[in-house]
Amino acid sequence: MNDLQDHKMIELKNLTKRYGNTLAVNNLNLSVSKGEIYGFIGPNGAGKTTTIRIMGGVLAPTEGMVVIDGINMADDPESVKRRIGFIPDRPFIYEKLTGMEFMRFSADLYGVDERVFLENAQALLKKFGILNWADELIESYSHGMKQRLIISSALLHNPTVIIVDEPMVGLDPAAIKMVKNMFRELAREGMTIFMSTHTLAVAEDICDRIGVIHRGSLIATGTTGDLRRIAGIEEADLEEVFLNLTEEQEIQ
Amino acid sequence: MKEILALLRSRFWSFRNGSYSRDAKNHRLKGFLFGTVGLLFWAGIFAIFYRVLVYFQGVEGFGDVLARKLMSMVLVTLFSLLIFSSIITSLTKLYLSKDLILVHSMPVSAAKIFLARWFESTLDSSWMVVVYMLPVFLSYGIVYKAGLLFYTTVGLTILPLCLIASGISALAVVLVALVLPAGRLRSFFIFLGFALFLILLIAFRMMRPERLVNPDTFASLILYFKSLETPGSPLLPTTWIFDSIQAALQGQAGSAVFDLVLTWSFAIAMIFVITWISGATYFTGYSKAQTTAGRLFPFRGGRSRDWTYILNHLSGPVRAFAVKEIKTFFRDQTQWPQIFLIVALIVIYLYNFSVLPLDKSPIKTVYLQNIFSFLNMGLATFVLTAVAARFVYPAVSIEGEAFWIVRSSPVKIRTLLWIKFCVYYVPLLLLTEILIIVSNILLHVTPFMMVLSVTTVFFMVPGIVSMGVGFGAAYPDFQSENAAQSVTSFGGLLYMILCAGFIATVIVLEAGPVYTVFMAGFRGASLSTLQWIWLVVSFSLVLLLCILAVIVPMRWGERCLSRND
Repeated sequence: MNDLQDHKMIELKNLTKRYGNTLAVNNLNLSVSKGEIYGFIGPNGAGKTTTIRIMGGVLAPTEGMVVIDGINMADDPESVKRRIGFIPDRPFIYEKLTGMEFMRFSADLYGVDERVFLENAQALLKKFGILNWADELIESYSHGMKQRLIISSALLHNPTVIIVDEPMVGLDPAAIKMVKNMFRELAREGMTIFMSTHTLAVAEDICDRIGVIHRGSLIATGTTGDLRRIAGIEEADLEEVFLNLTEEQEIQ
Repeated sequence: MKEILALLRSRFWSFRNGSYSRDAKNHRLKGFLFGTVGLLFWAGIFAIFYRVLVYFQGVEGFGDVLARKLMSMVLVTLFSLLIFSSIITSLTKLYLSKDLILVHSMPVSAAKIFLARWFESTLDSSWMVVVYMLPVFLSYGIVYKAGLLFYTTVGLTILPLCLIASGISALAVVLVALVLPAGRLRSFFIFLGFALFLILLIAFRMMRPERLVNPDTFASLILYFKSLETPGSPLLPTTWIFDSIQAALQGQAGSAVFDLVLTWSFAIAMIFVITWISGATYFTGYSKAQTTAGRLFPFRGGRSRDWTYILNHLSGPVRAFAVKEIKTFFRDQTQWPQIFLIVALIVIYLYNFSVLPLDKSPIKTVYLQNIFSFLNMGLATFVLTAVAARFVYPAVSIEGEAFWIVRSSPVKIRTLLWIKFCVYYVPLLLLTEILIIVSNILLHVTPFMMVLSVTTVFFMVPGIVSMGVGFGAAYPDFQSENAAQSVTSFGGLLYMILCAGFIATVIVLEAGPVYTVFMAGFRGASLSTLQWIWLVVSFSLVLLLCILAVIVPMRWGERCLSRND
């Protein structure tokens, strides 16, 4: 584990994003090691989704940089994106394709070997319980099924980093449990996972470290134990710690 | 009433806030461009009608009959346009809008929601038609020196005309929604509308209206007059409106008011009837619309034959986007009627060439054939621009909210744009070349003109397609519920204007040298050195322009779309 942790898979350096006069992300600095699950929590409008989108190459930062596996996103975005499995919070996909066609589309984009595509795609769709729907148009899928399909397609090319925005939104309890177990398993195998979430129980349950973002700034980061110490409350769950940290900021 | 106003207010606020939004940085420039083009169209309509009416007035005997016939045709066309436009708008407003779930969860009766939505739909579907009809009536007023009665009557009749058209459309939509779920409803109405439009268009064309200007073809002059003076059906609202406006034009206040009252009473009765029917049925139809997102022709899924192997030689990302683009296009059933419409228009376009009475013209046939062939080049590329505006310009916007897939994928924006270019370039080149070759064959043009048109078009098509992709990328609209509508935006308008400029420049550059070559051939003389230089310079400029039209918009579009902010 120590060897893994020495290797920084995600580095955010002085990351800043402005929308006109609004400062969405303010000089964010953090790093995530190989095989680590990093949870990103914060109130609504704190800058979580903006950060995640910049990390996924969907949005350009105003200042600062995103380095994935030692490569700066601005220098070689294609190489970086090939290493990432990006899962957005809202499952917008091509409604006129079937599930399997979408998997094929992702495979072609990320250069998945033709010989293993079908087997891997079927295995993932089966794991997420949508194999029977593989030949149906995505427009007939429910919200949760689309979310499952996006997660399947993001894992198809064996990324080294998973960047996921609100992974549990739209999923049923069985799928949530399955995704949690899968993330733990993937992290054990060396995959780095960066996830933003509102579900504090999920963050507490599976994340190795958690960062709290508020008004675009990282106000605390560490294990749940570290966060408790920072908040000055030893015997409390993450929810209380989170509320304490963000309220403190409000007062300041 | 309070609830209806509250429902409408949100729309008004959204409209008002549009100018404060982040995307509205070029608001003034856009407003200016739209305003100028709109005003030019408005003035153009006025000038044409004014000219035609002045000409009619000069035709002794039946000039007024022709003017009356023209107005009656305008009103019927206006009414049909309003009905068609209202069907599409009310369908979206009443059953398909995303905010309906929120609205129906509020403590407001279905009839009130219907009325608010119907009012919005009437406004949306009518305002443009009405604005562009005003110059028509204005030209009548000026030419016939009409008084206040005429203008007041026009103002008071247009409003019930819009209400009646919108009422009929909403009634049809509400009733059909009881039988068909809204997902299918949209395809059904679009099919129905286009089918009716096509039938009318083909029937009109097959009637050969050019014979109308040639009274010789009628058995007698009386028959000719009779065909022009046939009154409309007394059951049609357009007839009452026509009678009212005509009476006002002639200063007969009593008759004008009678027909006006008839029209208004029908419009008000219509509102009562649709409110009553919608109160009883609207929610049932809406509820049905939520349960099935069916297709008019069911998708056959895995059973359909896979043709994608023919693209296997392409690289992964190129194949991925090419397959996605083609499959998405053909599975979107709302595209089909428009393809049928284009095919029908092309058939009519070509049919027109086959019936051109070139041999009856006093000008030498060979000369005329070649002039037509040259003009045909411009016309065919204008047709191409219209088709490209509908299909190529929205190609980037059609990615919609799924555009994150492109942004997060290891593919350059440039690659995506060139894939889109290639997907549309091949069919559009084929379409334009077929148009040019077939029309030239029908015109029996000289081999020189045939080679010239085919080659010119071959070099122009990439430019027009590239401008479509490039402008679409520079002005994308990923939020729109219907990406095809993006062509009516600022970028779409700019694209159309610049394409028209591009086509006109190419035609102007070629016209002079081609005329010289043609006349030299006609007289059996050879070209002078100066004429040769002119020829080479002109054609080189055309080539340069075509190359620039491909490169510049693509690079610009790529730069804009890559900004990621």
